Amino acid sequence: MRKLLAFLFLLTGAALSHATVNDSLSFAYEGAAPYVKQGFAFREDAWGGDLGEKDQQAVSAQLFKGNEYWFITGTDSRTATVTVHVYDSAGKLVEQKYWQKGRFSGSYVVPPKTGSYWAIVTVEKSPKERTGWALVYGFK
Amino acid sequence: MRIKLWSAAFGGILALSNLAPAQDAPPTNIDLSTFPAAAVQEVVVPVPSEIFNVLDKLGTPNWHAEFRPTLGRNTGSRPQVALLLGTVIADGFIAVEAQDVPRVEDVGRQVLKLSQAINVEAAVKERCNAIVDQAKKGNWPAVRKELDGALSKVREAMTELNDEDLAQLVSLGGWLRGTEVLTSIVIKDYRADAAELLYQPELLNYFIRRIDQMPSRLRKEDLVSQIRKTLDRIRPLIGKQDGSNIPLKNVERIHQMTQESVNEITAEQN
Repeated sequence: MRKLLAFLFLLTGAALSHATVNDSLSFAYEGAAPYVKQGFAFREDAWGGDLGEKDQQAVSAQLFKGNEYWFITGTDSRTATVTVHVYDSAGKLVEQKYWQKGRFSGSYVVPPKTGSYWAIVTVEKSPKERTGWALVYGFK
Repeated sequence: MRIKLWSAAFGGILALSNLAPAQDAPPTNIDLSTFPAAAVQEVVVPVPSEIFNVLDKLGTPNWHAEFRPTLGRNTGSRPQVALLLGTVIADGFIAVEAQDVPRVEDVGRQVLKLSQAINVEAAVKERCNAIVDQAKKGNWPAVRKELDGALSKVREAMTELNDEDLAQLVSLGGWLRGTEVLTSIVIKDYRADAAELLYQPELLNYFIRRIDQMPSRLRKEDLVSQIRKTLDRIRPLIGKQDGSNIPLKNVERIHQMTQESVNEITAEQN
């Protein structure tokens, strides 16, 4: 019985988590919509999860000099503030533009060199213990 | 739609409490060396469009010259089919660059055939039809997007079938064929900024790690173990730091090695 309960708990937790991330992902794509109109192609792959307040998540990406990139986050929490900033492999901030508004935030990067970059997602503030987030990026 | 999920519920959280939290103005420098090792393991594999997009801006290569005589044959080995599928999808991008409708149709048919062999046909059928339809209309940006989507769909479907390792081989096959073509183009008109596109150390490390984590029966397959050795040999040739100059002789060696790997995958010489 205890095993069954633990299994059900895991299932419930997983389902909640997926719902949270799926909602966040919808918002991330909503935040990306203006850039699609500007010719940015957003990838179908996305990254996401849930974080506590002030927690951070790093996503490492290979970026190519010659492309421009927008990294966009969305969150399922109306009152949370989630940000994304992009750093190069030496830990230097490389974004040329940044904004955060409501559920969305964005970081614009024109990579000065081809190489590995880091998108750092932060839950700056949130009324919830865990805050769902999703990250998408597009290029042109 | 595929999402890489980090969640406490799955025990995979990678919270980085050692970093200064970003306020209105984010820190201009952070210490990446203090990241937990686990945080660097998930590397975003670029979609082929990202590289072709840059190549578009660098000039107008003769894409038809990059076609290969055959898209390869299925030997019946699932790892070979997965690798081959990746190379064929990469060929789709070359056909798009060449704006060659018959070639795109060939690619669409071959993708379906190979997907069927590894039980993911249903997931990509719609995409393959869209690829051919959009090519006939001459809507090349849409074909590119559908090809990126087909690659994602194949990987997603394989992951759902608990074939995550094979999904990685699809990506790897695409990377090898893409790199073979990229190096071929760079060799024909060498420019340091074009060669710089080859600087992908984290990606190479990622592929190496993923092979090393595969079950030994898969890792020891001749084709997989040969490719593993090739990746090791390529690694020192792609430069030591971001923006490294990658000389022509290195590009030529990478081309030769990736070409050999693609030939092995294509199985015409096996």
